[in-house]
Amino acid sequence: MAYIEFKNVVKAYQMGEVLIQALDNTNFEIEKGELTVIVGPSGAGKTTALNILGGMDLVTRGRVIIDNKEISSLKEKELIKYRREDIGFVFQFYNLVQNLTALENVELATQICKNPLDPKTVLKQVGLEERMNNFPSQLSGGEQQRVAIARAIAKNPKLLLCDEPTGALDYKTGKQILQLLQDTCHKEKMTVIIITHNQALTPMADRVIHFKNGTAHSIEKNEHPTPIEQIEW
Amino acid sequence: MKKALMKDTVKEISNTFKRFMSLMLIVLLGVGFFAGIRVTSPDMRNTLDKTFDDYDAMDIQVLSTLGITQKDIAALEKIEGVEKIEASYSTDAIVNIGETEEVVKLMALSEHINQAKIIEGRLPENNKECVVEPRFLLGTENKIGDSITIEVEEIQNKDGKNQPLLKEKEVTIVGTVHSPLYISSDRGTTKLGSGKISYYMYIPLENFDTDIRTVAYITVEEAKELKTYSSKYENTVEEVKQIIEDISEERRQARYQEIYDEANGKIQDAQKELNMQKAKAEKELKDAKQKIENAKQQVKNGKAELASQKTTTNAQLAQGKSELDKAEKELQGKEKIFEAEKKKLQATLGYMTPEQKEQTEKQLASQEQLLKQARNTLNTQKQNYETNKKKANQELTKAQKQLNTAEKEIQTNEAKLQTEQKKADKKIKEAQEELEDAKIKLADIEKPEWYILDRNQNMGYVSYLQDADRIDNIAKVFPVVFFVVAALISLTSMTRMVEEQRVQIGTLKGLGYSKRQIASKYLIYATLATVLGSLIGVSIGFYMIPKIICNMYGMMYTLGTPVLEFDIGLTIAGLLAASVCTVGATAYSCIKALLAMPATLMRPKAPKIGKRVILEKIPFIWKHLNFTQKVTIRNIFRYKKRFLMTIIGVAGCTALIVAGFGLRDAVGSMIPSQYGEIFKHQIEITLKDNLKQEDSQKAYEEITKNQEIDSTIRLNRQSVKIVKNDNNQSIQLIVPEKVENLQEFIVLRNRKRKEQTYTLNEQGVVITEKLAKLLDIDEGDEIIIKDIDKVEVKTKVVGITENYLLHYIYMSPKLYEQLYQEEAKMNTIFANTKELTEEQENALGKTILEDKDSISSVEFNSVATSIFSEVMDNMGLVVWVLIIAAGLLALVVLYNLSNTNISERVRELATIKVLGFYDPEVYEYVGKEMLLLTIIGILVGLLGGNFLTTFIIKTCELDAFMFNPQIEIASYIYGIVITMLFATIVNIITYFALKKIDMIESLKSVE
Repeated sequence: MAYIEFKNVVKAYQMGEVLIQALDNTNFEIEKGELTVIVGPSGAGKTTALNILGGMDLVTRGRVIIDNKEISSLKEKELIKYRREDIGFVFQFYNLVQNLTALENVELATQICKNPLDPKTVLKQVGLEERMNNFPSQLSGGEQQRVAIARAIAKNPKLLLCDEPTGALDYKTGKQILQLLQDTCHKEKMTVIIITHNQALTPMADRVIHFKNGTAHSIEKNEHPTPIEQIEW
Repeated sequence: MKKALMKDTVKEISNTFKRFMSLMLIVLLGVGFFAGIRVTSPDMRNTLDKTFDDYDAMDIQVLSTLGITQKDIAALEKIEGVEKIEASYSTDAIVNIGETEEVVKLMALSEHINQAKIIEGRLPENNKECVVEPRFLLGTENKIGDSITIEVEEIQNKDGKNQPLLKEKEVTIVGTVHSPLYISSDRGTTKLGSGKISYYMYIPLENFDTDIRTVAYITVEEAKELKTYSSKYENTVEEVKQIIEDISEERRQARYQEIYDEANGKIQDAQKELNMQKAKAEKELKDAKQKIENAKQQVKNGKAELASQKTTTNAQLAQGKSELDKAEKELQGKEKIFEAEKKKLQATLGYMTPEQKEQTEKQLASQEQLLKQARNTLNTQKQNYETNKKKANQELTKAQKQLNTAEKEIQTNEAKLQTEQKKADKKIKEAQEELEDAKIKLADIEKPEWYILDRNQNMGYVSYLQDADRIDNIAKVFPVVFFVVAALISLTSMTRMVEEQRVQIGTLKGLGYSKRQIASKYLIYATLATVLGSLIGVSIGFYMIPKIICNMYGMMYTLGTPVLEFDIGLTIAGLLAASVCTVGATAYSCIKALLAMPATLMRPKAPKIGKRVILEKIPFIWKHLNFTQKVTIRNIFRYKKRFLMTIIGVAGCTALIVAGFGLRDAVGSMIPSQYGEIFKHQIEITLKDNLKQEDSQKAYEEITKNQEIDSTIRLNRQSVKIVKNDNNQSIQLIVPEKVENLQEFIVLRNRKRKEQTYTLNEQGVVITEKLAKLLDIDEGDEIIIKDIDKVEVKTKVVGITENYLLHYIYMSPKLYEQLYQEEAKMNTIFANTKELTEEQENALGKTILEDKDSISSVEFNSVATSIFSEVMDNMGLVVWVLIIAAGLLALVVLYNLSNTNISERVRELATIKVLGFYDPEVYEYVGKEMLLLTIIGILVGLLGGNFLTTFIIKTCELDAFMFNPQIEIASYIYGIVITMLFATIVNIITYFALKKIDMIESLKSVE
């Protein structure tokens, strides 16, 4: 059995009078320690899938199993526990707490975890040793995203979910961030899922899932992922 | 405004309904409270006005010490401005109910003015029926249909004889009524019974068996149309009062003359009668005397006659005797000669011839015969004489006897006459004395006093208006709190709204809409909320608040249904004030946003930059805080506006609650402190004026002998004034007989330093605290005391003593003597009793009052205490109103702030939710701030409550009272607990609001 299984997942919203089928019978699997890239155009359902994986959204139908745990049937409190212990999230807009320093933002996550990593070590790891005590407003976008990643990694999660992590960053910084994510995956053996609409990024992944019209259109496996620095777009 | 914008505005309202509602609600609260509480005082006054109109209550009443006559009525009726006039009778009476007695005000039912309003049953139809006030039935456990006996003092009829006042003493209660004369629970005082009137009752006027009336009720033309509290009314009534005042002199003189003439006429008649009687008696006596004199004369004459008779008789007898004696002597001579011759002849006889002898013998015999004959005649004569003498003597004796009898008779008559005379004299003297008395009384007849009173002498009326004034004072303060909060709330709400819509504003600006058009959306939004909130607010406020307050006062006053008015002026004022707050705040935030460039607006506003707080620079403290504490503190400093708002809101809430309870404390502890801690005595006995020293002493001893009385002190109590820039404080000067005993009855001490007590000395006087405060007198100041006789003395204030009720000056008797050059007259007795029940107190009061000649009144301090417990119940309601108001305030403020807080930080909160914070942890993340702010708010509120209480006390306090400004610890605790309770309610709401935050929605990339 795969580490992550997405089985016949349907997600539908009622938006006024229109029923929107965000996910329509989606199926995919991901193995542990893989770097997966989910690509697809806007509105293809990638984010919905990610949200469901991250325990932030519920499925309408179908099953989602992660590490032998069926998260699609978890109750709200169990979902929070799942998010708390098993998931690290990285957003496009970093979502750092403005009122906390870089270190504190990481601590915000680690203080509620069972086996957190040392915040300072993690920050050092992401290259922010010198900027630890700065507030988000004092950091550049790339630095802020690094803090966000550090915050996600420091929780020592089973799954690192990244929603357009480079969307708000310039090319160079974006690349550095992706490098960091790739390194994290490969060095720390962490399962990382990255959402992007940028097709060019697919070579960096161990597994690529293409989304289209609310479903996983095709899944391909990269036996030899390309290091980020070699990818140009 | 463009159609699209209009649509947008409408949509905005439905989309942000919660915000709209909360904005509306705070306006509603602010305006509602403002309008409601401001209208309460006018409503109360109008209720009073309507009630008095409904009763056709008198505008003026005229009382006369000698009664009101038909002529008085006629004279009053003629006065211009007098609409109606009705003479009536009222007196104090004792009603016997079973074994108990109640002192009542007995009044005649009137037809036109001061009509009694039927509450239950019906009005009396004949003299055997009566109506009572509802409290009478409650208090005496009587019911309609029961019979009661009324006891009234007898009156003098025209002939000066006593007669019963009432035709029917035993009457049946047929109904209950309310009277406009007694709208408060105070029924006044009386000389009867325990000195306090308990109830009032009405009987038909015909039941009073007299032509005299005690009072004339008058209504003034056009006065009914005017509001009774208005100055116009006062002026209208005053005009008529003035005219009555003007004619009163004449009427008083007339009435005086009438009574004087009547009495004088009687005296004249009596004098005439007396004179006649006197003359008659005198004449009779004189006649009798004359008779006696005549008799005496007769006796005298008789005596004289008798004497002359005696003389004559004696003379005759003496003559007879001497003649007899002479005849005897002659006879005896003749006999001697004869014997001698006889002897001579006999001797010669022998010598003589027989013839000679014979002849001689013959001669001798014939001579002897002749002598014998003469002797016999003489003897007969002698015998006759004796007889005559005896007879004459007898006659004389008889005459003498007769005279004696006559004399005795005269003596008896004389004695009799004397007794008669004495009797007559006495009678006359008595009659004379009576007349003199009557004359003195006549001189004593004083010109009757006319008391021309208006409604301002109606205790209930006045105190109700004062209460209305007090509400008015409160109404000036409280709404401000609400308005300030409303302004702040709308400022945060609207600022937040404008900020949230920066992008849209930017877009519209980019599209070329004018600033005014863009701003109009928010202004309309705010205006709509304000107008709606204001209208609903005033509707509720005008209805609810006066109703609640009027009903509260309804427990103390019997008035008609509250008159609730919709005050346009207040509505506009409230609306304007609210608009300034909300629309002003909106305009302010709009202008700020509109001044920015469209492009700037399109970019999301950078979240507030995190900053280190000062506290972090103090590692000593900072290090010891845990992570969330640090976050909390940083957040508090980050949102300064919210920080301020929360504190103001919470502080306002706490302050209101503390003020509510503080007010209760202030009013509540006043009486227990006054009667119990300061005045330790239970009874105040006033002696009659002008009582003689020994009577006063006797009365005092009598009282001290009473078993239920533990200890007593005599004092001089009199009304004085302090001469200082025209103040009207009526003050009682108290001079105890023995300074050292005073503390057993009155404690003189400093309020703040209770252990500092004062002992009266010759250096100066001790005055009460409120008096000192009112007249700005400090210890050591000199004051001038003026008594009723306008005598002014100057002395020093040596102490200012704790006191809550009325004003007193305490002076030592020695100082009094020094100042007034005379001893203080002890006219009052304060007494400590054993623990007594109410009945025992009543009995004791009655016992003391039995000494009618010496005792003027007996007052129990427990009465004041019990009246006060009623007031306290009402205070409880005030506290409730304040708590509810405070609670609403706290709820709205906290809810609004917490909402703003959440919406402002929704990204942050969603983030931590994504990070896997459990719901309680998420709550804690913001709740800790709220808690800390609430605590700070409460602390500020406790302080504010103290100020607010002091302020309210200052505005509400009457001159005669001093509320205890000491707020109990418990009140602060209540303030804390209740505020926390409201905060908790909001926190629970917040908890669920937080739970409902949609992570995905919130974290969606900014549009």
